[in-house]
Amino acid sequence: MNLIYATLGFIGVYVYVSLVSLLWEGMDRKLVARMQRRMGPPLLQPFYDFLKLVGKESIIPRDASRFFELAPVLTLATSIALLAYTPLGFEPIFGTKGDVIVFVYLITLMGFFRALGAISSGSPYAQIGAQREMVLIASKEVPMMLALFAVLWRLNGLGVSRPFGMGTFYEHNVWELGTPLSVIGTLILLFVFLLWLSSEIEVGYFDVPEAETELAEGPMVEYSGRHLALFELASAIKIFVSASLVVAVFFPWGVSGYLGLTGVTALVAELLFHTLKVFAVLFAGMSLFRAITGRLRINQAVSTFWTRLFPAAIVGALLLVIDTLGVVA
Amino acid sequence: MRVPPTLSTVLGNLFKKPATNPFPKSDPVPVPEGFRGKLVYDVEKCVGCRLCITVCPAGVIEYVPEVRKVTFWLGRCTFCAQCVDVCPVNALSMSDEFLLATADKYDDNLRWFHGEEIEEFKRKLEEKKKARESFKKEARKAVESEG
Repeated sequence: MNLIYATLGFIGVYVYVSLVSLLWEGMDRKLVARMQRRMGPPLLQPFYDFLKLVGKESIIPRDASRFFELAPVLTLATSIALLAYTPLGFEPIFGTKGDVIVFVYLITLMGFFRALGAISSGSPYAQIGAQREMVLIASKEVPMMLALFAVLWRLNGLGVSRPFGMGTFYEHNVWELGTPLSVIGTLILLFVFLLWLSSEIEVGYFDVPEAETELAEGPMVEYSGRHLALFELASAIKIFVSASLVVAVFFPWGVSGYLGLTGVTALVAELLFHTLKVFAVLFAGMSLFRAITGRLRINQAVSTFWTRLFPAAIVGALLLVIDTLGVVA
Repeated sequence: MRVPPTLSTVLGNLFKKPATNPFPKSDPVPVPEGFRGKLVYDVEKCVGCRLCITVCPAGVIEYVPEVRKVTFWLGRCTFCAQCVDVCPVNALSMSDEFLLATADKYDDNLRWFHGEEIEEFKRKLEEKKKARESFKKEARKAVESEG
């Protein structure tokens, strides 16, 4: 019975996140348009785009292998599976101890499947895009994982029911430590996380694999019709999930406690408030970043991660460690 | 990593009105004085001197010898207005009209003086001719009878 409820909740979360993430994409396009003094498309444009793509003919290149058709399905399936481990204002539905590994694995796997589909397309443009995607994945997850594990390790020290689980953030958060060292460390990690978010959803500096003007859409160049629609939906969900992680780590405060809600209404209120926070984080990490920065070259992007963000993550993590162990007192 | 200098501009733009003209909902941007829009042809003024055919770089204009007029297919027109400048009787002029998109390249909107119009004009000419001849005959008869 419990499993049935969990499954129903999971489906509900999937439907909600699909709608909201596409809605955010519409808001993002509108916001960026207004930043450039344009009017922008209607708010529901991504829905129209999705429906149009679903209705269009999907062309399979002659040189494509079997994975070409399989990759979009696998990507969307991974993104849906990811939702079961994503903190959405409440503990993840299938959350358990140590599920942060599953989260990191699944979110990396999405990029991997995208690259797989690109390699299978037989187009050299897509393959160059896939190479860049893989290089970027190899660089960007390192600072994020260091920062995430440092925070989780620190929270573990405060005593949590499921160590290294995504639900940890709703029991304790990093700000409640309150010591100057931990606050500075957390701010540094927040910076790392925001740039990781931008690279995960490939905007601004890190629009490297897609690179419309340089590589003609990169990995997605051969995709059309419903296959492209699946990819679009999956990447919209990925945007929401990545931002959800940032929100859960740094801004996990809920509203139901203040409003005195319990049960299902509390869950709904938390979900809505979480969505608001996600939109706020995405405004800074996606819309603004996209409007004010151009693309980096792939070598610049990689060196940004290894020479800027990775050291920053180390410094942030060390500050948390020093604060905890009391080496400097 | 510096803060990009565009940040303040972009944030300021968020609170300004879009600087766009939502065309199908509003009027298009007004055309300036001397705008070179769709070519307008006045058949009555035309004397059939064929100067416009000589200067037209795109081959829009064709001579119709039976009626001593010209016919136009604006599908090729480059809006250079050389025919307007060269026309000695000012039968050609440029209008303000520029929304000329069509699904049919031989649309009536892109033709001046073609098909039935030419036929009609021929018929009119013939009628005039007949009228003139019959008038002449009657005049001659009248002269003869008077002796």
